[in-house]
Amino acid sequence: MADDRAVTDLESFLAERGEPLLRTAVLLAGTREAGEDLLQAGLERMLRHWSAIVGDPEGYLRRTLYNLAADGWRRQRAWRGRLRLLQNETATAVTDGTTEVDTRDALIRLLVQLPPRQRAVIVARYWEQLTETETAEVLGCSVGSVKASASRGMHRLRELNGAAPGAENDLTEEKAR
Amino acid sequence: MSTELEQQLRAAMERFTDDVRVPPRLAVKAYRHQQKRRMTTRAVAAAGTVTAVAAAVAIAGAAGAFGSATSPPVQTAYTAYVVSHVEHALAAPSLGHLVEADRTTLPPGSTLQPFPDVLVGSTGGAGSAPQWNAGYTLRWIYHGSAEFSSFTASGQRVFDWGVTPAHGTTAVIYGNDTWWTAPPPSSQGGNGPAPGCIQGHEIALGGGAGNGWPAFIRSQLACGAYTAAGRQVVDGIDTIKITGNSSPFTFWVNPANYLPVQAVLGQRQTEFHWLAATPANLAKLTVTVPAGFKHVPAPAPPTRQAP
Repeated sequence: MADDRAVTDLESFLAERGEPLLRTAVLLAGTREAGEDLLQAGLERMLRHWSAIVGDPEGYLRRTLYNLAADGWRRQRAWRGRLRLLQNETATAVTDGTTEVDTRDALIRLLVQLPPRQRAVIVARYWEQLTETETAEVLGCSVGSVKASASRGMHRLRELNGAAPGAENDLTEEKAR
Repeated sequence: MSTELEQQLRAAMERFTDDVRVPPRLAVKAYRHQQKRRMTTRAVAAAGTVTAVAAAVAIAGAAGAFGSATSPPVQTAYTAYVVSHVEHALAAPSLGHLVEADRTTLPPGSTLQPFPDVLVGSTGGAGSAPQWNAGYTLRWIYHGSAEFSSFTASGQRVFDWGVTPAHGTTAVIYGNDTWWTAPPPSSQGGNGPAPGCIQGHEIALGGGAGNGWPAFIRSQLACGAYTAAGRQVVDGIDTIKITGNSSPFTFWVNPANYLPVQAVLGQRQTEFHWLAATPANLAKLTVTVPAGFKHVPAPAPPTRQAP
């Protein structure tokens, strides 16, 4: 059946390029489960708009992942609930840990506390090593916006990494925007 | 901004995702979920209409739109993705450090004849009539040099034919114990005509290394009408199969490097190996003239007939 064959081809594409895309999705979404959901959501959107896609499907899917993530995606509400748990874990890890591993774990926890757009910019710039211009293209925003989000994001990470009290309030404020 | 923080952040990201794996059948799940959502949306829309006829039309429209709007584009885009990778892999810079070794099995009744700049083969159709029966061939190509050996189906060596940019062509004909040489072509025509879209029985295999399988495959892909037709294990490799929609040419590429693993053109089947340029592999490019063979003039170039 033609549809079956199409899905098989998409599976082949994922077998080739799925892993780096999923890694990005996991970072954008905050957990593996959420990352898989985000990737699936990206695939669904790709299927919906497939007739408009020209050329490399990977580029389209990557942009979709970023835009879904930057727009807060459909799990935004769930994230709010998850934040409290993550922040509690963060506090434990930071005060407890002195090893490099603890620091890395803490950084990931801090990363997922960033507002979606800042998190997306940080992932694009420091995980995928995209330039500011490339990041702006992927997210569909201006280079100035990327610079501002990256600056704010890193500043926030530094603040949170220092276990600044009151971070939870700031986050709540950002999420409400 | 702290560089150290950036480094720590990247290391943290690396570690956090270093063992993620795409769940099996994720594309299937996405497809079904998307299909379900779409059908639900249509059904809701249909429920809002005032007549059952309108609802039926909406649902039928949904089914039709889904079927036509997803599958062919998915196929087309995936094919474009694979084809672009194959074209890149077969471009000269990518192949520069590899020795191509291939073995082609020919259909019964095939004949081949070596000329100074080109090998002409026939599988029994119209055209010139090559002289030597051929069951299979072995070919080695590297950096503009090529060595081609033809054998009968039972493994008896028929001729060796080698060409280098510096020394021209050397052919050893085991069928009549002769050998001949020819200087490098003075014009740029040494690689023969660029392969066109497949037609007819006569196939100029190309004299120089520039016209080997990579150029042939790229030229066929440039003709369009090829489809990435799923995965198939060939020679122990989980390959991507690429088929001609209306031509008799199918080939399989290794998804690790997008180089061909196997190709089938009509009744001819070729297996490929892409090898490091070691002294042992490079030695395969040399044609050796056995003692006692008679040196004869090189044959005149063939006259090509219009297709």
